[in-house]
Amino acid sequence: MIQTIESGIPGFDQLTVSELAEGGIPEKSTTLIYGPPKTGKSIFCNQFAYQGLLKLEPCLYVTTDQGLKQVQSNMMGFNWLIQSYIQNQTIYIIDGISQLSGAKFDDTNNIKLSSVGNPADMMVKVGIGTRSVYKKSNHFISILDSLNTLFAFNQEQMVIRILKAYLRRIREAGGTGLIAYTEGVTDSDTENELKSLFDNTIRLDGEYIRVESNFEDIEEVKSYESTYIITDKGIVVNGK
Amino acid sequence: MIPCIESGISGFEELTRSNGGTGGIPENTATLVYGPAKTGKSIFANQFTYQGLLNGEPCLYITTDKGLKQFETSMNEFQWPIETYLEDNSLYVIDTISDVSKGNLPKSKTVVQSYINNPTDIMVKVGSGVHYIYRNNPRFRSVIDSATTLLAYNENMLIIRVLKAYLMRVNEAGGTPIIIYTENSADKIVETMLKSLVDNIIRLDGKELVVEAMKGIGKRSSPYQITDKGIEL
Repeated sequence: MIQTIESGIPGFDQLTVSELAEGGIPEKSTTLIYGPPKTGKSIFCNQFAYQGLLKLEPCLYVTTDQGLKQVQSNMMGFNWLIQSYIQNQTIYIIDGISQLSGAKFDDTNNIKLSSVGNPADMMVKVGIGTRSVYKKSNHFISILDSLNTLFAFNQEQMVIRILKAYLRRIREAGGTGLIAYTEGVTDSDTENELKSLFDNTIRLDGEYIRVESNFEDIEEVKSYESTYIITDKGIVVNGK
Repeated sequence: MIPCIESGISGFEELTRSNGGTGGIPENTATLVYGPAKTGKSIFANQFTYQGLLNGEPCLYITTDKGLKQFETSMNEFQWPIETYLEDNSLYVIDTISDVSKGNLPKSKTVVQSYINNPTDIMVKVGSGVHYIYRNNPRFRSVIDSATTLLAYNENMLIIRVLKAYLMRVNEAGGTPIIIYTENSADKIVETMLKSLVDNIIRLDGKELVVEAMKGIGKRSSPYQITDKGIEL
């Protein structure tokens, strides 16, 4: 059996049950979550991260679209309160965008500021962050939300290189990675290359969720599809 | 429940109401208003601006399509006079069209000239504008009318970065920004990027106003018309 992690998304774990796995997100795998704008990709990431935090699984959270303050406020809209996990350092945050707002922030033990336009610095901080969460547990979750801003601030091939390095780090440390990307912000060649880097892909189009898992070791591909809705409790996969 | 501010558009609050909330534009979130040319996007932005001024919420207005005088004229067409708000400094205008040296702009600390082909300068002025407005009232509005012209005069990805920085600044200071954009005036990649920058997306097609995405609610739509009072749903 392939080990999985509870996704925290009602209906998702039931949808992804097979003879190979119990359902959920395959542990120590990497997943690209993509789709058109405003279809719930960030909500999915946050819901998954929060479920992990509830079980005290450490999380490395790289935010590049929204500053930490905004992420917290978005999560609060669903009643996912992360302040205590920030305080007890279960979550390690790399904020690659807040500096752009012109406000002054200071680093703490587990909140590091970086800049989306400076990928070398981001990668150094990802390295330090990975070690920090790995020391706590070799079961950790890593979120990167999202690649869009990285693409806006850097050359496409540069972003692909950073992403490869990032995924390698997560894999080496045994983490489970979830990376968000808005479909259509690069050309189709780059998009295909992007998808090929991941073990699993999840596509959200506003109505349907489509999951594709590639179990490389046993050369098997599984795919699942369902409708979903976004409620005040987050995403609900309702299996229609 | 997500706190909202009054849009000023008649019928919009009812359309966006949910779970006992007031409806309107979610406060401190970013909105893209887009659609084909001449469908009322600027009117939407102006109506939103004027309602804020009426409610005592100052506005940082970045105009790239019309000079200040034309902007004032188009506001007057709907009986939305802005003269007093320019005088009491609650309307802060960054004008990238008019030429100060030709005496087209009044001498005022809240009417500032910038240049459409100089995004760096625009960002500097936005920085001081946000700073000025925020000191007086952390609850404020901001409008860019329009991103279309910025994209036409500059490298597209540069403008995406500038808009991202603009939204971060306004949001950090507590403001509620709106960006206007004419559909299909830039390529698809840029358009998708724009949509991914914002929290709420509103499309006007001349007949129907569609709330394609909005924080806290699902997709909504209503027919609309443009009257002498502005947009009415």
